[in-house]
Order: sequence, then structure tokens, then C-alpha cells
Amino acid sequence: MSAAARVIRPFASRALFQKLPMSSVRRVSPAAGFPRGSIRSFSQSPFWQVKKYTESHEWIELADDGKTAKIGITEYAAKSLGDVVYVELPAADLEVSAGEPVGAVESVKSASDVLSPVSGTVLQGNAALEDKAKFINESPEGDAWIVEISVSDPAELDGLLDATAYKETIDEE
Amino acid sequence: MLLNIRGSCWKASRYRRDRGSLLVRFNSSFPSSHFARLASRPASIHQIYQSVSTDPYVNLSIEHFLLEHAPPDSSILFLYVNRPCVVIGRNQNPWLETNLRKLQSGQDHGGNDSSNDAAVFVRRRSGGGAVFHDTGNLNYSVISPRAAFTRNKHAEMMVRALHRVGAVSTSVNGRHDIVMSMDMGQPRKVSGSAFKLTRFRALHHGTCLLDSPNIDNLGSFLRSPARDYIKAKGVESVRSPVANVSSAMGDAPAPFSIQAVIASVMEEFAQLYQANPDAVRRAQRAYAVKPELYAGDNWVAGAVGDSEAYGEAEITKGLDELTSLEWKYTQTPQFTFSTYPIEEDPRERPALPSSLPPSARAFLRVKHGAIIESCISTSMDPLLAAEQASRVHEALNERKLHELQLHQWIDLLLSRLSTDEEPESIRELAMFIATQFGCS
Repeated sequence: MSAAARVIRPFASRALFQKLPMSSVRRVSPAAGFPRGSIRSFSQSPFWQVKKYTESHEWIELADDGKTAKIGITEYAAKSLGDVVYVELPAADLEVSAGEPVGAVESVKSASDVLSPVSGTVLQGNAALEDKAKFINESPEGDAWIVEISVSDPAELDGLLDATAYKETIDEE
Repeated sequence: MLLNIRGSCWKASRYRRDRGSLLVRFNSSFPSSHFARLASRPASIHQIYQSVSTDPYVNLSIEHFLLEHAPPDSSILFLYVNRPCVVIGRNQNPWLETNLRKLQSGQDHGGNDSSNDAAVFVRRRSGGGAVFHDTGNLNYSVISPRAAFTRNKHAEMMVRALHRVGAVSTSVNGRHDIVMSMDMGQPRKVSGSAFKLTRFRALHHGTCLLDSPNIDNLGSFLRSPARDYIKAKGVESVRSPVANVSSAMGDAPAPFSIQAVIASVMEEFAQLYQANPDAVRRAQRAYAVKPELYAGDNWVAGAVGDSEAYGEAEITKGLDELTSLEWKYTQTPQFTFSTYPIEEDPRERPALPSSLPPSARAFLRVKHGAIIESCISTSMDPLLAAEQASRVHEALNERKLHELQLHQWIDLLLSRLSTDEEPESIRELAMFIATQFGCS
């Protein structure tokens, strides 16, 4: 084992032991040290933008403003549900807690709830789905998002699965 | 990475505590008040019930309770027979899918009100199309872990149960329904399926027409007078010719018995999920002797009904939701009603009754059960017609369609149209519209 590794190892386990929340880990990343504005010109993918997943196959993507997010169902979910025939959209201003239904999808005689990954207030349902529910099968993680919410506490997203962890859960199924 | 490590440390220490507080002796019987606790006990991984209630709201609410509260790794069979009712899918339109006038549309669902023989209209929580139930129809419901669920799994279980009682011409078709091949002609549907999926659980329930006395006129409950005028978003039913399972067994040695089919379904369920034979034995006998609940180490079996439902706050909460007019009507996806072809619904329309003014027109757009756009007029002159329509819309805007009774349609149209139309013609138009929506 190299000397460098020996130095790093105790530091890493100390860091794990303290169970630093993800958000604080991210705050010490070098990008945060840059003066505001200058980083923007270098990056098309802003610092705040983050997409997370749930075990129940929803995704949530925080917008650039760090406060609003779009929610939808994953490619995997869309494929396993089959042809979507109707999407129930929530009314604006509906308040939801994490894990509560924020809509529902019907496919092949099956009604499935869409659960909100985090707490928040509904801004709008995706009107494009009113006329064309099948859009969900075409672009589940793109333009066929289901609902846009105002997120109560963006830190709640830290507890969700990232793309790799989500992929592991569907490989188990 | 960090997440994974953290997750595995505290899972073991925190969640190993046994949360079951109910002491279960081997194979012992329990009063009905224990139902909710037994059903949600973590050890109850096999549950078999038959309902003694024929109230569709009660049965659907017990089923919903089991979906939400039984342990996530449990498999449950729940069998019930409802009194006559039409059950529509979660995202369907009652004005399009049922003959509301033939159904009792009120909120009353008391099991003790036996004087009223009319069928009730129910909206269920699962998807799919409209079906008719009566006392010759057996409903089966299997609730199981979502991970191992497929849409045909329990329809195939039912087919094995039907074969066991001698109905060997039944099979599962491509729509997850059960059909019966006939000596002559097309196969006929004997069972329809619908599903509700939650995070960890899958509910599959289906009908099974065993010996329905209404087999020849089911269609009359499912045919709306407004079907030529309504175009709805949401889910439309697929109509299929139906038959009773009993019709294929005319030459059987013993008379057809629903209870024999029930016993057979319980056997097949137990085989599919390797349930304890005691559970099956208790479940099969619970109904015959007196309604009772039994439980063993890892199972619950027996009869449930109104007392279990009304004794548990979570179930009555579900009952209130299911019987509410909001759920029954305002859950309806957006639709249009139009007596003339429109862009969204260019079908040719049948001629209106000759008692109406020749230029009478009616159009409504209904969202969340409320009228958001309308165009009702009688005048031949386009300008005058537009003016009439706007007067009528002022009165109709935001009104809930299900709250408008016949006399309200009459009063409303009389007050808005009588300056330029005969009262008798207006009354005829109001009656025509109200009839399309099942008002009487």
C-alpha cells in the first residue's frame, strides 16, 4: 500500500464516521469557492441542477433556481407499466408530503399512484399529458414529466437515490 | 457510496424489533374486532377471507384496507359477492358508461335498506372498465408483493380453480380476462380483471360470472342514453359478449354451487402461495358455520363483513371516500356533451326528438364534474342563438353536473330562454338534456 493511500484512509473513515450530510459535502466542493457568476460562463450544467430517483420509480429534477422541481416516472416504470391510457394530474396548490400521491397513471387496467419524492406544493400538472397520455411511454424522463412542484426543502433530495443507486435497485428486481 | 454504507449500519439494529403485539395461540379463533390487528400483524403472511357482506362499498373498503395495511410480504385472497351494482374504473365517466337512471345514484348504501332493489353505481380505485355485479357473480381479489406480480398470475389461478370444478373450457385471453369457449360461435367472457399498484403491493381483482340471473340484460345497466353525444377523456370500456360459467355445466351430476367454486379458489390460492392447509380448512368452513376469524403462526383466515368494516376507523375512512359524491362524480376525466358534431367529436348525431324546437342545440364541456363551457340555444338566428347561449352559460358556469336535478334544468332554462321561446319547448329541451344525464 502506498504512503499516500495510508494517509487518506484514516481521513476517509473519519469522514464517514461523522456521517456528514450530502449537502455539506457538496458545499465544500471547489466550485463553490468561485465568485458567483464566473462559474456560469464555463458550465452548461449549473451547480444546483440535480436529478434523483425513488425506489418506487419516480424521478425528480431540481431546476436551476434550486426551488422548483419536475417529477415524473422512470423509463423502467414506463416500460413495465405498458401503454399509458390516462394520467391523473393534481390541482395547482395541492400540498404534498414526501411519499404521498401527487398523481396517478393508468395503463392496461392498472391504476398506479405517482408518489412525490419530496415535500412541496404543486405548481402545475403537465397539460401535454391531458390530450396524449401515451406521451409518457415516449419520453418518460424528458418532456413527459407529470408535475412541477415548489420544493419545501431542497435538502430532502439528498436522501434520494442517485442514478447509480437507482439502477442497482432495478437490477435486483 | 456514503449512502450505502450508512444504510447498512442502522438497518440491522433499528428494524429488528418485533412489532406484533397480538398473542396468537396455534389455530385459535378470534372475535371480529381483532380483524384489523390480525390483518396488519407482521407474521400474517397468508390471509384468506370470504366476506359475509354484499355491500360493494364495504367489500371494496375492506380490500383497500388490506392493500394498505397488510404486511408487505404477505399474500391475501379475499372473496366476495355483491348485491346488484355497476362498478366503473377509476378513470371512467359514469354518464357515458352506465345507465344512471336505472341505478340508484344517491349516497345511501346501507345494507339494511333492503326495500330498495335498484342497483348502485360505484367507482372503484383500480383501473379498467365498467362491470355489472349481482349475487351470481363471484369477485376474487388477490393482494401480493409487487415484485413477483404479473397480470396473468391470478387469472390463471382462477382458471385452475374453475377447471377443478368442471368448467374446463375456460382460459385466460390477451386482455387478462377469462373467457369460455362455446359449442357454437365466439368465446364469451366470464371474468374481467383490474389492478391497483402501490409502492410495494399489487392488487388484482376480478369478477367471475358464475350463475348471474341478469346474464341476458347486463348491457342495459351499462348502456348510457347519452353515448351518442358524449366524448370523454379517460378510459373507455371494451364491450364483450358474456356468459355464465354454469351454462357450460348443464350436464354436471350435482347442481352448480358458488360455495364449491369458492372452496376451489381457496385451494388454488393456497397451492400458489404454499399457505398452511389449516388456513384453507378454516377459511372454507368459516362461512358455513358462523362468521369467525382464525389465526395461526403465519396466517389469518375466516369470514369478514360489515362489523369488521364499521369497527375499524381506517376502513370507515375509505368507505366515506368511496361513497362521497366527489369521488363518484367529480373524479370523472374531462368530457364534452354535444347534440351536434364538433371538432373534437365529429360523429354524426341522431335526430333530436321532434318535440324540441328544430334549431335546438346543446353543448357542455365538463371538467372535474363541473360545467366550464356551454352552448345551449333554440333560435335559428345565429346572433340571437349566441346571446341565448351566453345567458344560459352565466347560470350554468361552474355548476356541478351531478347536482343539477330535472326541475333545476327546467327552471334554469325557463328563466334564461323564455323571452324568445315557447315555455313548452323549453321544458322539452330541459327534459331531454336532463334525461341524457340520468336525472328523473
